[in-house]
Amino acid sequence: MARRPPSLLRRIVNYPLDWIEERSGLIGGVRYFLFRKVPHDTNWAHTLGSATLTAFIVQALTGAILAMYYRPDPGTAYESIQKITNELTLGWLVRGMHRWGASVFIILMFLHMGRVFLYGAYKYPRELNWVIGVLLLVLGLFEGLTGYLLPYDQTGYWATVVAININGTAPILGPFLVNLLNGGADFGPETLSRFYALHMLLVPGAIFALIGLHLYLVIRLGVSSPPWSDRPAGDAMPLPPPSRDGARAGLVRPGARRRVRS
Amino acid sequence: MARVDERRQAYASYKEDVQRRGKPFYPYAMFHDTVMSVVVVAVIVALACIWYFDSNEEPGEEGAGILGPRYTEKADPGTISFIPRPDWYFFFLFYLLRIFKWPESVILATIGVPTILLILLISLPFLDRRRERRPLRRPVAVVAGVLVMISMGVLTYKGGTVREALGATAAEIDTWFQRNNLPEEARPGAEFFAETCTQCHTYLGSGSANLGAPDLSAVGATGRNVEAFIQIMREGPGAMPSFATQPEENLRAIAVFLEASKGPGGG
Repeated sequence: MARRPPSLLRRIVNYPLDWIEERSGLIGGVRYFLFRKVPHDTNWAHTLGSATLTAFIVQALTGAILAMYYRPDPGTAYESIQKITNELTLGWLVRGMHRWGASVFIILMFLHMGRVFLYGAYKYPRELNWVIGVLLLVLGLFEGLTGYLLPYDQTGYWATVVAININGTAPILGPFLVNLLNGGADFGPETLSRFYALHMLLVPGAIFALIGLHLYLVIRLGVSSPPWSDRPAGDAMPLPPPSRDGARAGLVRPGARRRVRS
Repeated sequence: MARVDERRQAYASYKEDVQRRGKPFYPYAMFHDTVMSVVVVAVIVALACIWYFDSNEEPGEEGAGILGPRYTEKADPGTISFIPRPDWYFFFLFYLLRIFKWPESVILATIGVPTILLILLISLPFLDRRRERRPLRRPVAVVAGVLVMISMGVLTYKGGTVREALGATAAEIDTWFQRNNLPEEARPGAEFFAETCTQCHTYLGSGSANLGAPDLSAVGATGRNVEAFIQIMREGPGAMPSFATQPEENLRAIAVFLEASKGPGGG
């Protein structure tokens, strides 16, 4: 039986997609991402990771806009922040979203981590992704620390002076860390530019790269079912010992004979 | 069977099970993700709006709304009476500095506890290698996790509501002179000290123990001379900021006062 030729619309849509697919394989990658199977019992708690990513994207976008108007110079930084907040059209919204988005991002990182901990989702084979997640948490907190100085107001200034001094109490590494963060022996004009470069280039770049790796591993390894699910995906744990009247309802699944008993 | 093979098989059966009984990410999981992301953005916008419309252009307390001011005063390295406060998510570390005192154990608060927590956090999947995932069957992990969460919550709360020093009053300064038997030449230094240093240091019950700053009621009994105290204020040991930009005579006055402070009954 001859197949009907595809409609004109279908050909118009498909042509560029096929063109890209033939030269990159990206369309197949996106299809795999979208249509890959996830356990049937994923729930709202599984959205915390993507919610954290959303908060980070908000930070990246608002941060890029702020960088267009902010001046990382001790003489003018404070004034440029005042101008962004009070004068520029919607500047208050961009700065407000960046300022509060930071708190939301950090709360979501902790909640996401709590979810993974509670579900035992850090266990084999996802150990490496847990470690990457911890690194992301540390880098996220470091973004909070470096960003706090940038408005160059009293709160940010003195909190940063003390934070740098606290790093200085570390054994052996202390003086080196202080020098690295200050951009010299003492807190000076270089410190602000240094924090600015760390805050908007180096650390976000590292966060982007690690998020990419984190997501790659999530897609490759799959997400785990809630451990208390009636029928969690796979058999991540030994079956309960068989009772006299047969296995308990809800814990026996088709395919159980293939599973390992321990 | 070796544990390694066992968990490999368990994971293979997970993969197979997801293929057989799972649902496609799009549209099912993606729908939840999208709704959650919209909520997140809405919350961020709402916080920005509340913060902005409830505050005004004035810096600090005067312009503060329910979510705080838009900014505090412009940074001034010459100030000596500003209490450094981090953003709320560092309050738990901030409060640790009140628990571990300078100089003996402050390193535990600045470096020790955070480093140990971080190492434990990173090594969690290597310490807890059983396949069991149900929380009720992982009592050690769950109890430890809950304890860490509770203590971080409590420390954050305490760091956020900690009593701020308001500087010592004139009456308190008079008490210091009586109880510590201070000579009259220590008076100007005592006044500077009451205004500024008590933001972090305590002295005969006045002031606020911020950032691990030690009590200075009897610091004169440590045998340091005036020059040594000036040197400390200039350098700012540990978490203490350097006050090298302050006029020499102010530092000297404070140093005279500290040198005379030998504690109640001393001197």
